[in-house]
Amino acid sequence: MAERMQLCNISDNNFEECTKCSICTTVCPVTAVTTDYPGPKQAGPDGERYRLKDPAYYDKALKLCLNCKRCEVACPSGVHIADIIQHARMRAGEGQRASLRDTMLANTDLLGKVANLVAPIANATLGLSPTKLVMDSVMAIDKHRTFPAYSRQKFTTWFKRHAAKQQDAFSNHVSYFHGCYVNYNFPKLGQDLVKLMNAIGYGVHMLDKEQCCGVALIANGLYKQAKRQARTNAASIRQSVNIAHRTVLTTSSSCTFNLRDEYPSLLDVDTSDVRDGIMLATRFIYNLVDEEKVKLVFRQDYKRRMAYHTACHMQRMGWQLYSIELLRMIPGLDLVELEQECCGISGTYGFKKENYERSQAIGSVLFKHIEDAKVEAVTTDCETCKWQIEMSTGLPVENPISVLADALDVDATRRANSI
Amino acid sequence: MRMDTVIMGGGLSGLTCGIALAKRGQRVTIVASGQSTLLFNGGSMELLGHIEGKAVTAPLEAIGTLPQSHPYSKIGADNIAALADEAKQLLADAGIDMEGSAAVNHWRITPMGVAKPAWLTLNENMRIDSLGKLPAKHLVLMCIRGFFDQPNGMLAQGLRELGFEVKTVEFTTDDITALRRSPSEMRATTLTKRLVSHNALQRIADQINNLAGEAEMVLLPSVFGQTDSTDFQTLQSLVKKPLRLVATLPPSVAGGRMQTLLRHYFKMLGGNYLMGDSAVSGQFDGDRLLSVTTAKLGDMPLRANNYVLATGSFISRGLVADYERVYEPVFDLDVDADGDREQWTRFDVLEPQAYSRYGVATDGDLRCMKQGKPIQNLHAIGSVLSGHDAIKMGDGTGVSLLTALAAAKNILSGK
Repeated sequence: MAERMQLCNISDNNFEECTKCSICTTVCPVTAVTTDYPGPKQAGPDGERYRLKDPAYYDKALKLCLNCKRCEVACPSGVHIADIIQHARMRAGEGQRASLRDTMLANTDLLGKVANLVAPIANATLGLSPTKLVMDSVMAIDKHRTFPAYSRQKFTTWFKRHAAKQQDAFSNHVSYFHGCYVNYNFPKLGQDLVKLMNAIGYGVHMLDKEQCCGVALIANGLYKQAKRQARTNAASIRQSVNIAHRTVLTTSSSCTFNLRDEYPSLLDVDTSDVRDGIMLATRFIYNLVDEEKVKLVFRQDYKRRMAYHTACHMQRMGWQLYSIELLRMIPGLDLVELEQECCGISGTYGFKKENYERSQAIGSVLFKHIEDAKVEAVTTDCETCKWQIEMSTGLPVENPISVLADALDVDATRRANSI
Repeated sequence: MRMDTVIMGGGLSGLTCGIALAKRGQRVTIVASGQSTLLFNGGSMELLGHIEGKAVTAPLEAIGTLPQSHPYSKIGADNIAALADEAKQLLADAGIDMEGSAAVNHWRITPMGVAKPAWLTLNENMRIDSLGKLPAKHLVLMCIRGFFDQPNGMLAQGLRELGFEVKTVEFTTDDITALRRSPSEMRATTLTKRLVSHNALQRIADQINNLAGEAEMVLLPSVFGQTDSTDFQTLQSLVKKPLRLVATLPPSVAGGRMQTLLRHYFKMLGGNYLMGDSAVSGQFDGDRLLSVTTAKLGDMPLRANNYVLATGSFISRGLVADYERVYEPVFDLDVDADGDREQWTRFDVLEPQAYSRYGVATDGDLRCMKQGKPIQNLHAIGSVLSGHDAIKMGDGTGVSLLTALAAAKNILSGK
């Protein structure tokens, strides 16, 4: 009977299942460009054996991990390699203060709130070479980086003024977790979602209270704050899904992954009861079309050639199929599906001066594929991939929801759905 | 989500079947739970290597003597030659150029220096057509300093036992030395990413040209070309003597390349490849599978007219053993396996092991059996099948390729 204990002796991260096959290392984008990082097998399950004995075995090089999760996707044995590394980083970071730079980068919503108020000044200032030099030398934010432009009007302000009133008139309803990027930098994506959902008969609503999902807080070691915000979001999502019976839609793959999977696995904030009620808008819409509950009609005059880039967290969720299949429904869109490669930005990682070169080296494979694809634009579900690809290839990058909204024949779609 | 065919498993058999179907215009989705055991393949395919410990010279003839339970017998010994040609062509179409014939085995060299019978081998890899007629007498084995994945001494010893005169020479270049900062990553798949620029290859060529001496042929570990054979060809053009690669310990560069090329080809044909997802259960209606639920797609199951189980053997978790039984974890299909746990293994690991032959039970058309009845629209292919033994018989890759093509034919003909 004693040997049967093995069956019960499995940790949350499936750490015991590692067979040391090293396949994870073959897909690690960091190992591919630097010898400073020991690779996911060593940093994850192998190192964990030592750290369990004595936390002093913690290796500072673990901070080089992008948390892109490609190792987990590749692992044939289901080991949560990146989670093991994140947990080790969290344990090692307890009680330590994050630097001013990291705190600033991590607080995407605080930064956004301030920058929105002074958007023209902020955009001009953040783009100036003296500012960039100061940020580079004092803050260690790499001078090559351009901060995404801040919008003069927040998405939520636009929504209140121009869209909120009309939403109750629809017979179906969803909530929208817009995230920081849509709210402060690029309200158009949120507007595109509202346009699309309204055209198929769905009213869009804000959550009771939405805070930054905290993905950047986790990456920069601000776990307490991340946990607080996670609890607030979880309560609002619960209200929407369980009480109002409204699915919570998102347009950012990293926010989605964070809300669904990283909240419970890294922050210990359980969202399992509402996990199925949080999803990317492309998955929600695809399912409606697939079940023939709605129809999409596209413009006859729409003609573009684009490449789809699967963001790392998108692949970890396994949902790229929905975005790709939806985009393939657009008759005028010639879509090239790129081989999955990491773009190298990984949220705030690539903004840091010490990571800039590594970040670009990691992305170079993807940039080459994009160049070879001879497309006029790229489409991806992740906003930080967007910044990185736009900066590095010069091509415009759009969210699939924006592509769909742009190609949609709104009147014909409304008629087709009897709205 | 509605498809023509859903394939569970994204390794050699799943991809081969997916390519064969997508080429004929089918909408196919492959669900792949992580990278496959192709990454353990050094660059050769085997049709049939051994029968009861004896090396097979003419596999097509030997296949006729296999028992009815062997997958080759199920797809028909008479069909093997044509399917083997088709498989070789499919690999070539994907960009995997291999040499060899199904009629006569050649010999591949394992990382430990053992010669094993093989059907197809990558053009740049060392192969021996006949043990009595070696391709060269004097070899120089170029050993990379600090490299983990090649046991140089054993390899050289093995080659000497085959009749070669072998000189081993250790070498390094600046690019390789730089990698040694992280000693745990002096691995084939890491090295290959650093040895791509013309300058890096030139530095290696310089070392070879300086150190190769009088040898007729230069052997190097297989660390060149993670996406195609261009790096090898560049290196060959810079080296004065004929160059051959030897398979390394896994994960292998050649295996990773074959996996990538097959996946590219499949996607180019319009296929969907869901990397990192896995089938968790199926919904049946009598003897038909209606839909498959995956871990990632959750409450939106995949629906198709036909399904293919290509989930591999124990190592890929296509089969699972616990303290009680051996089972197939997705659909709980019938398995051919001993009920008594004592029979599963033999103490000497080098002896033939009974569990190597375990797998899902199928009817004569490779359809999976559940509670004694065939599921009409669910075929099994590759290592998940019972009745063969990749290690002791050297039939693993052949069974993967040929059953994949046979199942695709069944599906296309509506059988």
